[in-house]
Amino acid sequence: MLTDFLQLTVAGLSQGSVYALLAVGLIAVYTVRHVINIAQGEFAMLAGLGSAWLTASGMPLLLAVLVAILTVTVVAVAMERVIIARVKKLTPLLSIILTLGVSTLLQAIMLLVWGPEAKGVPLFPGTNVLIGGVSIRSQEFWMLGALVVVGGGIVLFYEKSRWGKALRACAEQPVAARIVGISPIAASVLAFAIAGFVGGVAGVVASPIYLSLWSGGVLLGLKGFVAAVLGGFVSFRAAIVGALLLGMIEAYVAGYVSSGLRDGAAFLILILVLVVRPQGLVLKPTAVRV
Amino acid sequence: MKKSRLRFIAPIAVVTALALAGCSTSNLGGTAEADPAAEAGPIKIGAVLDVTGVGASLGVPEQNTLTMLAKQLNDGGGIGGRDVELTIIDNQSTEDGAAKATSKLIESDQVDLIIGASRTGPSLAMRPIAEAAKIPMISVAANVAIVEGSEWVFKTAQNDVVVLERILDDAEAKGYTKLALVRDATGFGEGVADYITKLGAERGITLVMTEAFEPSATDFTPQMTNVRGSDADAVIIWGINPSAGLAQKAYVQLAVNKPVYHSHGISNQAFFDAAGDSANGVIAPMGRLLVADQLAADNTQRKVIEQFKADYNEAYGEQPSGFAGHAFDAWHIAVNAIDAAGTDAVALRDELESAEWTGISGVFTMTAKNHSGLDASALILAEAEDGRWNLLKD
Repeated sequence: MLTDFLQLTVAGLSQGSVYALLAVGLIAVYTVRHVINIAQGEFAMLAGLGSAWLTASGMPLLLAVLVAILTVTVVAVAMERVIIARVKKLTPLLSIILTLGVSTLLQAIMLLVWGPEAKGVPLFPGTNVLIGGVSIRSQEFWMLGALVVVGGGIVLFYEKSRWGKALRACAEQPVAARIVGISPIAASVLAFAIAGFVGGVAGVVASPIYLSLWSGGVLLGLKGFVAAVLGGFVSFRAAIVGALLLGMIEAYVAGYVSSGLRDGAAFLILILVLVVRPQGLVLKPTAVRV
Repeated sequence: MKKSRLRFIAPIAVVTALALAGCSTSNLGGTAEADPAAEAGPIKIGAVLDVTGVGASLGVPEQNTLTMLAKQLNDGGGIGGRDVELTIIDNQSTEDGAAKATSKLIESDQVDLIIGASRTGPSLAMRPIAEAAKIPMISVAANVAIVEGSEWVFKTAQNDVVVLERILDDAEAKGYTKLALVRDATGFGEGVADYITKLGAERGITLVMTEAFEPSATDFTPQMTNVRGSDADAVIIWGINPSAGLAQKAYVQLAVNKPVYHSHGISNQAFFDAAGDSANGVIAPMGRLLVADQLAADNTQRKVIEQFKADYNEAYGEQPSGFAGHAFDAWHIAVNAIDAAGTDAVALRDELESAEWTGISGVFTMTAKNHSGLDASALILAEAEDGRWNLLKD
């Protein structure tokens, strides 16, 4: 029994780490531009399909993964420059419509270029580990590791570095930030670059066991969205914890109740959070800014 | 911005994204002009296939096959001088998409015969429409429910029942008495547990647990954890790729360590793409296509299979899958029947009911009672080894 529980927990944590990376990308953009980026999931699929294609054409795994992540980062920046930056008065609703358009466009491109079938990147190097009957797959270490290194790195960047503080300043006091010499353009580009980068990382580490599919980004992005809502769309830490919880809850629901209810669990949580605590898990209602 | 803003934005974001998921359409099929003149003018064949969505690994090679065969036929002069107009519609692997496509083919394209769909669920959604319109339909999916008691519906994939018989015979011979089933949660997996219970009873085999998975699933830890904790001697994973391949991968990675059987739903390269080395040792019943090079020289199917493989490889630069074979058989059975009986629906249906065809998926003998036409002899047992199938038992 305990073995089964731990096994489900491992699966939930690794799935949750992918959600967490997407949530980090969503929040990175939202805090700076107040844009809800519907195309966040597509970033992951684009990186997964791209690196699967590159490795299949003979490129070494590490290089293919780096090229794919970098490309997606560029795509995200291009999206900011070509579309988002051109809108004079950007409302969150308008941002949803715009990024929905980008999401559809990216899906269509992926379908045309790589076809309708799911593809996977080869497994990253490593060995599966069996501890007391609980099997941990090598790729799951990579997924959790990606969250710790990349997700943790971005949290530290936002909270500790000068650039990160500047980004937050742009979000909180745009006029004051400009007065002290912080470029809102640079901040916006940087935020989208971060979103593209974490989306790309999530896509390539998940692809070997979950595969990548042209249409797979929507559901994945929504799970990241649920996690971001758990963090009130401002707290990286709460969103990451929320994403890991979400992954575990999904695994428990699938294991102990029914696998068909797995996706339903995420949306039930979303509804509950929006009704009961729309400010997210951690913030006190009075402490909310945005 | 006020805190309550998110409360309004969030549902909008979710609804729009979900709508997008449902709306993303792509019709990869061709179009046809309406021409109602019967017994003259082009012959119209419609196909409804799972070209995108969870059934893509089935629908794409089927679409390729039909497109290639239609071109071959028309280049050679069509059927009795009449060209064949093939209209393929993508049902996006959905039941409602399949039903709509079928209605469109019958009402606006006025097709003489319909091929499809790729999977059981969409095929079952098409059946009542074809029956009501009295248009012959040949499904390329597996579940016997598609043709049971049907007047107008036929199918070319091997029945799930004979596939299970093949698996259970092997399990009995190896002395397994307790089986676990991990099945596709859609139409393809419906009824499988009941058949195992029924067919197993004669062989002293009991089904000790059943787990299900959605064909779009990516994580199979919960199901495999439950299977690992069961006292089953062997496991049957019943699904299509990529989900069945991913399930197999999880099965090995989670160290379930029991012998495993799959269905014929995995007879394509996508299985090895998804499962990788984890596929080694998998035993599955399937048609002879993937082991053609290992067949006896005098095997009756060998010639047609080798010709098809060569043609397909020339046209698309890759090897055809078992699903391509189901489409190949459906096409030839349809064309032969139209050649003999013309396009009058009743005559065509009657002709299909006496169809005999030595094809890719087996040697077909259709009758008025048997609209599937294949028995257990259509299947061989194969074992996966390093990305290819080895013939275990013909």
